Amino acid sequence: MIYDLIVLGGGPAGYLAAERAGKAGLNTLLIEKASLGGVCLNEGCIPSKTLLHSAKIYDYARFSSAYGVTAENVVFNHKKVIARKNKVVKILVSGVRNKMRASNVTVVEGHGHILGRDANGIQVEVENKVYQGHRLLIATGSTPLLPPIPGVEEGLKSGFVLTSREILDLPEVPDSLVIIGGGVIGLEMASYYNSAGSKVTIIEMQDQIAGEVDTQIANILMKNYQKNGITFQLNSKVTEILSDGVTYEYNGKRETIKADKVLMSVGRKPAVNGFGLENLGVELEHGAIKTDEYGKTNIPEVYAAGDVNGKYLLAHAAYREAEVCVNNMLGNKDLMRYHAVPSVIYTNPEVASIGETEQSAAAKGIEFEKANLSMRYSGRYLAENEGGDGICKVLVDKKYRHIIGVHMIGNYASEIIYGASILMETEMKIDDIQEIVFPHPTVSEILREAIFEI
Amino acid sequence: MATPIIMPRQGQSVETCIITEWHKKKGDSVEIGDVLFSYETDKASFEEEAKAAGTLLEIFYEADEEVPVLTTVAVIGEVGEDISEFLPSTTVTEETTPPPAAESTEIADTPIEPTPASQGQPRTSSEIRISPRARNLAKKHKLDYRYATPTGPEGRIIERDIQSLLEAGPKVTSAAMADYFASDQPLTGTGLGGRITTSDLRQPLPPANTVPTQTSSVPDYVDVKLPNIRKVIAKAMHHSLSSTAQLTLNTSFDATEILAYRQKLKAKQNELGLENITLNDLIIYATARTLLKHNELNAHYLDDTLRVFNNVHMGVAVDTERGLMVPTVFYADLLSLNQLAENTKRAIAACQAGSINPDELQGGTFTITNLGTLGIESFTPVLNPPQTGILGVCNIEYKIKLVDGEYVHYPAMGLSLTFDHRALDGAPAARFLKDLVTNLENFSVLLAM
Repeated sequence: MIYDLIVLGGGPAGYLAAERAGKAGLNTLLIEKASLGGVCLNEGCIPSKTLLHSAKIYDYARFSSAYGVTAENVVFNHKKVIARKNKVVKILVSGVRNKMRASNVTVVEGHGHILGRDANGIQVEVENKVYQGHRLLIATGSTPLLPPIPGVEEGLKSGFVLTSREILDLPEVPDSLVIIGGGVIGLEMASYYNSAGSKVTIIEMQDQIAGEVDTQIANILMKNYQKNGITFQLNSKVTEILSDGVTYEYNGKRETIKADKVLMSVGRKPAVNGFGLENLGVELEHGAIKTDEYGKTNIPEVYAAGDVNGKYLLAHAAYREAEVCVNNMLGNKDLMRYHAVPSVIYTNPEVASIGETEQSAAAKGIEFEKANLSMRYSGRYLAENEGGDGICKVLVDKKYRHIIGVHMIGNYASEIIYGASILMETEMKIDDIQEIVFPHPTVSEILREAIFEI
Repeated sequence: MATPIIMPRQGQSVETCIITEWHKKKGDSVEIGDVLFSYETDKASFEEEAKAAGTLLEIFYEADEEVPVLTTVAVIGEVGEDISEFLPSTTVTEETTPPPAAESTEIADTPIEPTPASQGQPRTSSEIRISPRARNLAKKHKLDYRYATPTGPEGRIIERDIQSLLEAGPKVTSAAMADYFASDQPLTGTGLGGRITTSDLRQPLPPANTVPTQTSSVPDYVDVKLPNIRKVIAKAMHHSLSSTAQLTLNTSFDATEILAYRQKLKAKQNELGLENITLNDLIIYATARTLLKHNELNAHYLDDTLRVFNNVHMGVAVDTERGLMVPTVFYADLLSLNQLAENTKRAIAACQAGSINPDELQGGTFTITNLGTLGIESFTPVLNPPQTGILGVCNIEYKIKLVDGEYVHYPAMGLSLTFDHRALDGAPAARFLKDLVTNLENFSVLLAM
C-alpha cells in the first residue's frame, strides 16, 4: 500500500498535520519514536504549565496577607506536583491518540528512517518494515542545544546538568539551582523552582532576559523575579561546568557559583540528523530544513513543519505551519505568515507579545505611534494585583493606522493576546477597533484603553 | 423647456448602439458642445455633443447598455422641470431590474468620513466609482462594495466585481484599502484568506517561489467578455470559411521599380504638394487597374449569379486597437495615385479614431490586406464574402535571378491571392496575379495607360 502522506514525528506539527490530512481524506501514516504529542505535550509546554500552576497556588497561599488572607502550614509537595503533571500529560497523550483514530490516521511507533524515493514515492523504514508514501511531512522537532562548554558532557552523565526534559521530572527540589540561559524555558523553570524552595540563579549572556521581548517588559519581569529572590547574572558567559558549580566570566573576571543542579537552557536546535534526511537530498540552511512559505522543501512532495524548519520553535507556529503544508498538499494554496504569531512566557506575572517591538520596528524603519499604559488602568487588574506593575504597549503603524505590535506583562496576558492576533491578521484600523465592545471588568480592557490613547 | 437627448442613427444599417461612457452625470450643468457620452456601433465609436444648454436632469441608460437608435437616452433642462413625457416606455434588453430612471456612474453615497488621523491618504472611498446595478447587488447581499476589485472602465466597480466579491469574500484589509485602490500595481494577497495587506502594498511583487506551486485561489484563466466588434469579426470570418470554396495562390514580384518610384515621389512630395504615397498605395493603384481586366475577381458571388462590377471599390484591411476594420475606397480605379493615397489615408485614420461612418465599411468589391510590414512572407487572407478575391501583400525578401549569365539579387515582394473557386478557376486567378506582377514590375508603363 502506498500512503498519500507519511508524517515523520508526532509532535504538534506532525499530529495536527496528520489529523487535518486524515480528515480531508488522505490516507495518512504517522510515525512517532517516543510518545504522541512530542516535546510540547510530554516535556515542554503542558508539563511546565502544570508545574507553574501548582507554584502559583502555593504562592497565593503563602503571600496573600495583602488581600486579607493568611494561611499557616502551607506545604508544597513536589512529588505530588510531578505525579499530577504526569497524569495530565497521560490524559492529553491519549486524547491525541483518539484524535488520530477519529481521523483515520495510522500510527506507527518506532524510529522512522528515510530510505529514499522511487517511482512509487518515498520509502520510510520503521522497525524493519518499509512504508511507502506519495508525500512526506518532516516534523521531527528540535532538541536542547548543548554548547561545547567543558564539563557539560560529564555533567549530563552524572545528572548534575539537566536539560528542559530532565528538570520536569526531578524527584527532589534542589537546594540551589543555576540556570544557564534566561530565555523562556529558563525563566519558567526559575519561577517554579524558586517557588518550590530552590535558591535560583540565572546566568544570561545578553544584557536582558527573555530574548527578543520588549526591553521595558523584560526589565519589569526581572524586577518581579528579583523581588521573589531570584538572582540574575547578566552579560555573563559560562566558561566551565564543575562537578559542584559553574564558572562564568563577567566583566573580564572569572567567578564561580556553587549549585546542586544546573539547567542548561540556552536554546533548541532543529532535529535534522539520524533519520536519513540525506537520502532525499533535502536542503538545510543554518542547521534547519529550508522551507518556503508554503512549507515545501527543495524536494517535490516533501514538506517540513514545526521546530525542524528552525523558524519560530513555538507549538502554535507549528500548528499553523502544519495546516499550511496540508492545505498546499490538497491543492488549496495557503501560505505561512509570521508577523502575527504571539509569544507568551507563563511566568507570574505572565508576559505576552505579538508583532513588532519598538526596537524591531525602528530597525525596520517603520514609522509608528505607541501607547504605553499601566495595567492599573484596568479595574480588574487593580482588584487582583496588589502592588502590580504590569504594562501594556500598543504599536500602531503611522501610515496605515493598524496595530503592528502588542506587548503586555500582567496576569491573563496569555489569554488576551489572541485578540491582538485577530486585530493584526485582519489589519483592522484603529477607528474600527474603537467600536469593539470589551467585557467589563476584565484585564483585556487595557487593550481598548490603549487604543484610545493612540 | 426640457430637451431630450436622442441616440443618433449612424448609417442606414445600424439598429442599436452601445453607450460606452457617460462624460456627464446627472445634475451636471451642460453647455452646448459639451461631450455628453461616447457610444459605439458594431464597427465604430462616436461622441455625442450637447445640442442644448442646461442641467442634465436624468439619464435613462447607463454605460454598457445597448440602446435602439432614435431612443431618448437622457434629458437636459432646468432643475425641477417635469420630464415624465420623456420616460422611455420600454427598455430594449430584458431587465428584471426595473427603472431605466437609474443614474449612471455616480459617487458612492456612503463615504467613510476620514478621521483627522487618516487624512493625507491618497484616496478615500468617496472616490470609489460604482455602477448602480453593482451597488444594488451589493446592497442586496449586504456586502461592503468598497472591498470589490474594480474591473470596469476607469476603475469602476461593475456587477461582476460584486459577484466575485460575493464568491470570494473581501480581498483587502481595511488598513490596506485606501492605498490598494490608489495602486495600479497588480498585487497578490498574502494575508488572512488571501487578503491584500499593508505588507503586500509595501512589497508589490510576491516572494519568488523556490518550487513551482499549483495555485487554486488564483484562477488559471479569466473570462474576458468579447466586445461587439470582436463578435462581428468572428461571425464574418466563420461565415467566410464555412460558406465559400477559397484557396490561396502565392507569388512575388521584383519590387525594384516601385521602390525607386516611391523614392522619387518621396523626394518630390513637398515640391509637388503630394500626399505621402506609400508602397501600399502603389499596390492598390496597380491592383485596381489590373482588376478591370479580370472582372470575375471584382465581383460578388451571389447564390445563382455573379455580380460583376464595372468599377473597383477597394476594401482596405486596417488593424485598429479595437480589431480588424475594412473601410472602402470607392472608385479606386478612377482615382489618381494622389487621390487614392488621400482617400485611403483618411479612411484608415477614421477607423483608428473609431469615427468611421458605418456606410463606408460596406460596398467593397475586392479587398487588399497588408501584413508585409510585420514581416510576413506569405499567408492565406480570408475572403470578405460575397467578394470573390482578396489580395495579401507580404514583405520584401531578397531573391536571386539569372541575368545575362550572372546571378543578381533583387527585392522580391510577396503577394498572396485568395479567391473563391466557386466564382473562378485557378488558371484565371493565376493570370490575374501574372498581370498584376507585370504591372507592378513595370509601374511607369502602367501609369501611362
